[in-house]
Amino acid sequence: MSPAAFDAIVIGGGPNGLVAAAALGKAGRRVIVVERAEVLGGQSRTIEFAPGFRAPLTADAGWIPPSVVRGLGLSLPPSTPPDVSVTVAHDGHFLALPCDPARAAEVIRKYSTRDAGRWAPFAARLARLAGFLGEIYQRPAPDVDTTAFADLTSLLGLGRKFRALGREGMTDLLRVMPMSIQDLLDDEFECDALKAATGAGGVHNIRQGPRSGGTSFVLLHHLLGAPAGSIRARAWWSDGPDALCSAAEALARRHGATIRTGAEVARIIVKDDAVAGVALAGGEEISAPLVISTADPSRTLLEFVDPVWLDPDLMAAVRAIKYRGCTSVVLYAVDRLPAAPGLGAAEWSSVVTLTPTLEALERSYDPAKYRAASVDPHIELNAPTVRWPSLAPDGKHIVTAHVQYTPYHLDDGAWNDRRAQALGASVAGAIGRTIPGFADGVLHMRVLTPRELAMEWGLTEGALTQGEITLDQILFMRPVPGLGRHALPIDGLFLGGSGAHPGPGIPGGAGWLAARAAIASRAK
Amino acid sequence: MTGGSAAGGMRPVSRYDAIVIGGGHNGLVCAAYLARAGRRTLVLERRPMVGGAAVTEEIFPGFKFSVFSYVVSLLRPEIIRDLDLPAHGLHILPLESTVTPLDTGDYLGSWGDADESRRELVRHSPRDAEAAVIFGRLMHHMAMAVKPILAMVPPDPASMAPSDLRSMLKLGGHMRGLGAERFHALYKLMTMSSADYLDEWYELDALKATKSASGIIGTFLGPRSPGSAYVLLHHYMGEIDGAFRAWGFQKGGTGAISESIAGAARSLGAEIRTDAAVARVLVKDGRATGVALANGDEISAPVVVSGLDPRRTFLELVDRDQLPSDIVAAVEQYKFRGSSGKVNLALSGLPDFTCLRNSDAALRVRAARGAVSISPSVDYLERAYDDAKYGEFSRHPYMDIVIPSMIDPGMAPPGKHVMSVFVQYAPYHLNGGWSDAKREAFGDAVVNTIARYAPNIKSLILGRQVLTPADVERITGLSEGNIFAGELALHQLFFLRPAAHWAKYATPIRGYWQCGAGTHPGGGIMGASGRLAALQIAGPAQRSPGKSR
Repeated sequence: MSPAAFDAIVIGGGPNGLVAAAALGKAGRRVIVVERAEVLGGQSRTIEFAPGFRAPLTADAGWIPPSVVRGLGLSLPPSTPPDVSVTVAHDGHFLALPCDPARAAEVIRKYSTRDAGRWAPFAARLARLAGFLGEIYQRPAPDVDTTAFADLTSLLGLGRKFRALGREGMTDLLRVMPMSIQDLLDDEFECDALKAATGAGGVHNIRQGPRSGGTSFVLLHHLLGAPAGSIRARAWWSDGPDALCSAAEALARRHGATIRTGAEVARIIVKDDAVAGVALAGGEEISAPLVISTADPSRTLLEFVDPVWLDPDLMAAVRAIKYRGCTSVVLYAVDRLPAAPGLGAAEWSSVVTLTPTLEALERSYDPAKYRAASVDPHIELNAPTVRWPSLAPDGKHIVTAHVQYTPYHLDDGAWNDRRAQALGASVAGAIGRTIPGFADGVLHMRVLTPRELAMEWGLTEGALTQGEITLDQILFMRPVPGLGRHALPIDGLFLGGSGAHPGPGIPGGAGWLAARAAIASRAK
Repeated sequence: MTGGSAAGGMRPVSRYDAIVIGGGHNGLVCAAYLARAGRRTLVLERRPMVGGAAVTEEIFPGFKFSVFSYVVSLLRPEIIRDLDLPAHGLHILPLESTVTPLDTGDYLGSWGDADESRRELVRHSPRDAEAAVIFGRLMHHMAMAVKPILAMVPPDPASMAPSDLRSMLKLGGHMRGLGAERFHALYKLMTMSSADYLDEWYELDALKATKSASGIIGTFLGPRSPGSAYVLLHHYMGEIDGAFRAWGFQKGGTGAISESIAGAARSLGAEIRTDAAVARVLVKDGRATGVALANGDEISAPVVVSGLDPRRTFLELVDRDQLPSDIVAAVEQYKFRGSSGKVNLALSGLPDFTCLRNSDAALRVRAARGAVSISPSVDYLERAYDDAKYGEFSRHPYMDIVIPSMIDPGMAPPGKHVMSVFVQYAPYHLNGGWSDAKREAFGDAVVNTIARYAPNIKSLILGRQVLTPADVERITGLSEGNIFAGELALHQLFFLRPAAHWAKYATPIRGYWQCGAGTHPGGGIMGASGRLAALQIAGPAQRSPGKSR
């Protein structure tokens, strides 16, 4: 390959990588995307886990920052808003919470008139607080060293932008973010099921329980882009889980990007403290003065880069990143959509949580503190085939179980196939206790423990987050303190995956900001 | 006494310019500063003695205890200077060492002499000994970084008032002045769990556990819960003013600290009445006019300052309908949930800690003069928390054990000793509630756990006082028995302590102020709240009380 055939290389063909490629291409850069898998899409790509059954890791479309859509001129694929925000198992039946606050209040009224009255204002308050986060997330993270004074002080509440957003809300945000989700909910509500359904969003993909500080922030983070009134579910892409990726891919190609799949990066080539390109597993080398990696920070800096180029303090900081993969995904191919009182197509298309109380959620977390898997894990279900029937043969369905807490590191030995199968079986059993007959309908099962997630998606510790999204790992602290602006200490190397600001669940967010930083660095 | 009718306006003639409710150390500090500013000040204390949670009592004949708060380090140096407390009896005896018994039968020591401590650490982990040097330096800088904030009236970030904007800018400048590295370290301390934070520094489990223990004191968090690292820092603040280890005992017990502040207040002209319980604050036309005592007496004054916690200050001393609904709601959501208890033991002799059996007599004596920390591992502390979060007291609790009579012989009869055991966790909201039986069961759990490390303890016990959070609440009046008058949780600190917009010691009722540890900067025998409140009330920069927006 002729040297410098490309101006930039993007590692990873997920939403962030494709958005970064589109942005670079749009800016006139000759860019190539290298993806280790045979298919693009990252966590939104579907895998055929049984003949005729294809499922994505997550059916959640996440939140695409408006600034990315505007900046790229990306035409978003059609999406379908959820009708049900979340459904929770509640003594023998299922309690579905509609997105529409008025209808939700009616549901809640059966259990508590007090809670019913408080619901709409609470949902609106969360939406407003999440809106603040959205504003922060669309700009590069403030940096105490290099940023304008205003950027830092805006965090302290001085920013004009924040004042415009509302002084009261700003104070509320500063108060709510460090709170435990349990405290936040106990202050408002009395209905256990309601608190459990909402609170589970506060521990999504982190190794913390609902009583842990900062879990209120986690809920807000995952609320970005949710339709008004929804405290869990977000809209989904009507054309398929990977529709956004396809749109970004098309845009990137239109801007001249070259895209190669089945191309695994072995290392990032550095010459004289500056990036020179990448070497693929096959030995092939591609040269370019810019590299944007959407792999997680540890793979990017500790695996791809020769340590001689890295400051020991930086390496120590990267090793200190809390990945803490603790989520397993179990895919079940079922012969029919499992039925239970209160559980219909609308519920299955959204989030169904089997954990009835915050205490049960806390108890499922406890073993993880001692480096063991939950005895009675927190399980959230979704049937992607209700949204996208074509993912399974006619009449058949897929049930995806999102299982916490199953830590990557276990005291009593590593994950292996036997343990994975045991987990899948026990999860099926647990589902069967709430949805009788579930196990009978299971045709095939695929268990993805943190070990499989690490191997097949190249995620350190199998962390879907590329680093827990906790208060100490956001903004200028993500991926490591002081590197929140996407440029890494090697000239020409940028981090654009969800391990970078603004983090997971925001497809294109980090890729866009990284591409912008990369373009600016070479414009000078 | 004649009063100025012109100045008094409609108000009744008052013998006093200010009444301070509660003779805890913050109330006394506030009164002393008000008197110092020339205000005729009266302190009203419900109990027969001043001090609140800083009292010395002879629980068993000849055995004196610092019943609740038992060590001191956070008392602000400016207060010691301003009030000349040493002249009034403040006399801190250094508490130099901490010994942590290990499950291996060995121990981990931290001694007054820095080199000795380093050698001891090297014995267990040379790597940690290296880290400890850098860690100590960083924590010193962190405490220094926070120090000005402790001495600062919290600005209201939502306020457009020039004073608040100036103050926010000053704060922003201060943060920026720290430089990136220290700012990031401070941010981590504000947001991480103490266990995670210490994991980045140390490998020795018992060391991490013993250090992270100070991150859970007085809060209802486990060492692995984000937010606990701040409490860790809070307990380091004391170390910046002392040479190597600023924790110490007051000669005669913590009650003598309260007495010294009371003495200073009196010498400055303040009057202090004990056995004088306040029933409510008198409010007329949205303005405080005085207080009504439990015995029906009424005392008038244009300024009333509550040293009690926010719940009592806002929800009990005044009628809710005299307050805006937002502050009532905020105070109702303010978290107390006391999580610790105290066991005071009268001993016929010294406990024999098995981990020290192989040590020479001199070291054993030194160890007995210091603290013994029952914190063998982070998991141990975390499991103690697990019991509590589901409504039980810890079967095997974290304990901070000291024997004050070793340093201050006057605390116990010759040859005998007093042992003070701080215990966590003991949740205020216990399943089924606290009863005499539950209290004794809790006391047994404590003694049995100590016996695992000092088997002869049971044979030495002449008297045992067990204090649950319910007892702390009943005796001191601290709601839910929280020793900090409210959790030191991030959402209850600085401009949010006790509530947004009301962190500047004023209340919505003109002339009614707050000066307790439920305000910034909060817990520990610090006195900063009392001092800042007094400065807000009496100047130097006199600001009109009222909502800051």
